Amino acid sequence: MSSLVSLQHVTKVYRTDHSEYHALKDINFDIQRGEMLAIIGASGSGKSTMMNIIGFLDHCTTGNYLFSNMNVSHLSDTELSIIRNQKIGFVFQAFFLLPRMTALQNVMLPLYYREEAKDIAIQKSMAMLEKVGMQRFAHHKPNQLSGGQQQRVAIARALVNDPDIILADEPTGALDSKTGDEVMDLFLHLNKHENRTIVIITHDKEISRLCQRVVTLRDGMIV
Amino acid sequence: MNISLHIQEGLQNLFTSKLRSMLALLGILVGTASVVAMVLGGQLATNEALKQFKTLGTDLLAISLTDNQEDNHASVQDQLSLDQARSVMRADKVILDVAPYTQLYQAMQYEGHELNGGVLGVTESFSRIVHVDIVQGRFISTLDKYAMYAVVGDGINKKIMQYSHRSALGQQVQVGNAIFTVVGIAKPWPENSFVYANIDNSIMVPLLTTMALSKYASISNMILRLSPDAHIEQVQHQITKFLMQYVPHKRLFFRSAQELIDRMAKQSQIFTVFLGLIGSISLLVGGIGVMNIMLVSVVERRREIGIRLAVGAKRSDIRTLFLVEAVMLALLGGTLGVVIGIMIAYVMAIFWHWEFIFFFLPPVIGFAVSVATGVFFGFYPAYKAAKLDPILALRAE
Repeated sequence: MSSLVSLQHVTKVYRTDHSEYHALKDINFDIQRGEMLAIIGASGSGKSTMMNIIGFLDHCTTGNYLFSNMNVSHLSDTELSIIRNQKIGFVFQAFFLLPRMTALQNVMLPLYYREEAKDIAIQKSMAMLEKVGMQRFAHHKPNQLSGGQQQRVAIARALVNDPDIILADEPTGALDSKTGDEVMDLFLHLNKHENRTIVIITHDKEISRLCQRVVTLRDGMIV
Repeated sequence: MNISLHIQEGLQNLFTSKLRSMLALLGILVGTASVVAMVLGGQLATNEALKQFKTLGTDLLAISLTDNQEDNHASVQDQLSLDQARSVMRADKVILDVAPYTQLYQAMQYEGHELNGGVLGVTESFSRIVHVDIVQGRFISTLDKYAMYAVVGDGINKKIMQYSHRSALGQQVQVGNAIFTVVGIAKPWPENSFVYANIDNSIMVPLLTTMALSKYASISNMILRLSPDAHIEQVQHQITKFLMQYVPHKRLFFRSAQELIDRMAKQSQIFTVFLGLIGSISLLVGGIGVMNIMLVSVVERRREIGIRLAVGAKRSDIRTLFLVEAVMLALLGGTLGVVIGIMIAYVMAIFWHWEFIFFFLPPVIGFAVSVATGVFFGFYPAYKAAKLDPILALRAE
């Protein structure tokens, strides 16, 4: 069975005028479909860089990135935007909902860039809000919601385009432990019952223990 | 992504930062209003200036006869008689009518009161060509010949009424040593730079009478009406050839109404373009205001841009998002600016008693230029927004 994500000899170098910084060094790493995976490491270990590359927000400096057996290392910005829209769902530590928009409008945003018809977009988005238990708050703005509720809306937004993979960057980092657990329960549920591929980037050992596989990064290398 | 969604979203964003949007809008509004008001006002002024000619007709040709300074043979004997002046009609068949006139520089009195005004020696055709209308009595007639009759202008009539408390008609006016009886009163006559004499402040008497009264009264001016298809230069040539056989030592100066109007229109056009440019400066300032505010907006919304990129917005979507906002500011500011500009021009027209005519072009130009300003000055911030690195944008506070 082929991997969903396959990084082959991937490096990432940040260059300034005087120095080079090797954020990732010769990474070889696969993600299988339906996997729930944690990437852990201290800050500066390269885990955010790795998430950005997997999520098509950044290009690797050398090496190849195969996504569903397609080499995506050299795609243009526009092509990456389209893939990102269709294949990736992001969940961020600080939720990153647009404050002007209601929960429903936030969830609809990825569909908007997909040119989905408005009524279908509303229908799909409401279904996602229901899935994360937020349908009652569809017309609330983010500042009227608690942190846990906002993160649920963000997860609904990540799911609405039916992505191949969900990338969650410290999804519980801004939440207290109880709501953090609820969010993790939601991820586990999505993984188990919908067979979603989920990658969680964290430095929290408690969180990583819930995942099937843990990848540890140190100084840009997998250990 | 379809454009109506872009517009909806743009409106929402503009509405969120009301004060800032208002300020940007104001810049464009003032700029557009000044372009429209200045250009429209300029056109109204031009129209007003040309109106006096248009009431007279564009088919007039004025001829002035002056002594040739370098020619010592020039003498008072070298004069045009009335019959010779009238025979100019034969010089070219496009000459439809001719009105020679003389000017007499003699003191004018009414019952011992000084009347400051001029004396014009005219013929019947003068009223036809220059449109002197009569309120009371009649105009000078061919049959008057050497008669001591006078038609007074509106201004002179008013002066006489001040002294006598009745209309000048039938009263007597003294010019030098001669006494004239007033047989007609003219309507107020709009001033006109084509006819040098100020008819309101003149009395008009038979041309032959003036020539008999003073040896200095010579036919120094003629006004001709030409047929509309006349070729001005050719007519001037024919007239010169014709008149030179009678007055070889005089110099002829021609002024055609059409030529004058063309020259004035051209001057006004330059003037209007100049005004438009001055107005454009404020539109430019408004445009810079839009750019400034959009740049601030891009910096403030970096995280939003990052989020949109993360959920799959293309760079072109981000560019369109900001461009649409800038263009909408310009559209709204431009529309309001056009309305206010027209209102300013209207107020100017009322203030200076101009006729208000709605010229279509200035508002259209004002509107088009304001939208172009929005696109031009909105493009750079939009381009900058689209170029943001999604990772850095997401990290922005």
